[in-house]
Amino acid sequence: MSSVWTGEGPRRRRASDRVRITMVIGILLLLEFYLRPSLVEGRGMPDFLLLALLLLCLRLSPGAAAVVGLCVGIVMDVLSPARFGANMLAHVLLGWGAAWGRAVFFADNLAVNAGLFFVGTWVRNLLVLLLSGATLGTLGAEAFFWSPLQGLTTAIVGVVVVVLFRDWLALRIDR
Amino acid sequence: MRDVGGRDAASGDLLLFTGCIAVALLAYGLPRPWAAELVGAIRRTALRPVVQLQSRAAQDRTSRFRLSTVQAAHDTLALRILEDSALRTENTQLRALVGLRQRGTMPWVPAEVLHRPTPTDGRALMLDVGTEQGIARFDPVMTPDGLLGSIWSASPIASTVLTWMHPDWRASAVTGDGTVMGILAPAVVGTSGQPLLELRGVALRDSLPNGTLVFTSGLGGVYPRMVPIGRVVGVEQDPLGYERLYRVAPFVNPGLVSHVMVLTAPRDSVYRLLPEDSLP
Repeated sequence: MSSVWTGEGPRRRRASDRVRITMVIGILLLLEFYLRPSLVEGRGMPDFLLLALLLLCLRLSPGAAAVVGLCVGIVMDVLSPARFGANMLAHVLLGWGAAWGRAVFFADNLAVNAGLFFVGTWVRNLLVLLLSGATLGTLGAEAFFWSPLQGLTTAIVGVVVVVLFRDWLALRIDR
Repeated sequence: MRDVGGRDAASGDLLLFTGCIAVALLAYGLPRPWAAELVGAIRRTALRPVVQLQSRAAQDRTSRFRLSTVQAAHDTLALRILEDSALRTENTQLRALVGLRQRGTMPWVPAEVLHRPTPTDGRALMLDVGTEQGIARFDPVMTPDGLLGSIWSASPIASTVLTWMHPDWRASAVTGDGTVMGILAPAVVGTSGQPLLELRGVALRDSLPNGTLVFTSGLGGVYPRMVPIGRVVGVEQDPLGYERLYRVAPFVNPGLVSHVMVLTAPRDSVYRLLPEDSLP
């Protein structure tokens, strides 16, 4: 009778997966809200909250990713409210787009993931600025300097997180 | 064979996405006072631990990396006070001579700025003080270098500053000699997109040389008088030819500021009665 599959193995594995993912997200949140602000501040710093959103989007369905994006957007809007709702819209679109892109055409590749982190940060920043009523000059400086810089730092941190916690995040990376 | 399960999942995703977009659009269209109330409510409930964690992080950074700077500023101020003590004594004697009482002091609350790495960080900053410390809407926010902005919303543990970089920010300004007045508003000029201020409403007969200092005028009842704002760096012609437009480089960079002072007293304005203790 011991050879009969009861379904407990995969269920337990799913539960432990959830715990591990929660731990990774928790580490990223701690980095975002305590470690980075206690060490260094600046415009080009990596956005760990956005990174957590994108990592979750790689595992979720587009609809669920949109809901997570909305939650992240609310947090961002409350903590930096230049224009309330701008972050919500931007993160819902980003979450949906990342999860949909992953389901349709993203490859399981480290470089593609890095590109997703970079482009995601860049697009998010421009969307937030556009929705906040930025002028063309501000948009130009953001599009060609600050956003690429932040995208780069976020992508580097993202790659490190993916490499370190690949198994915990249950991400398949083709080499 | 029809993929009924897949289609249901796709339509469920679409429904969730549409719902999220609707909620986000609703939030985006909220009137500002309602949005401020909502932000305050979330800060004092669900995100209270996050705000406190960020505040703690800012304090740790200051104690870790900025202690020597703070100590140097403290020593400089102590020396300045020693140098000015004779002047203050003389001022006290003169006020007594003409029958004026002591000048009222302006209470203020020190605050740490909780920066976020977002593209709109310079426009609206979060402070780690709120209504529990006596902060209220429209309180002026300054640094030792000059004016930063005013409080846009305040919750018990945190508040938001609308800085001079925000498109909605305005202040009545005057030159140091008090002869030229105008309204300051943010402007972006040059190929670098460097954020500057624009002094509008200056009469064509008035001309300001580069380097002229610009202060708050005290009109409007929000900012006290003679708080330094910036320095004139150029002039532009009004397209309609009705006024002169001056470019002003502000003294305070909102992206770099870490400590501020929030003035909590009634503002000094020509539209308000003078403090009772300054009357003979």
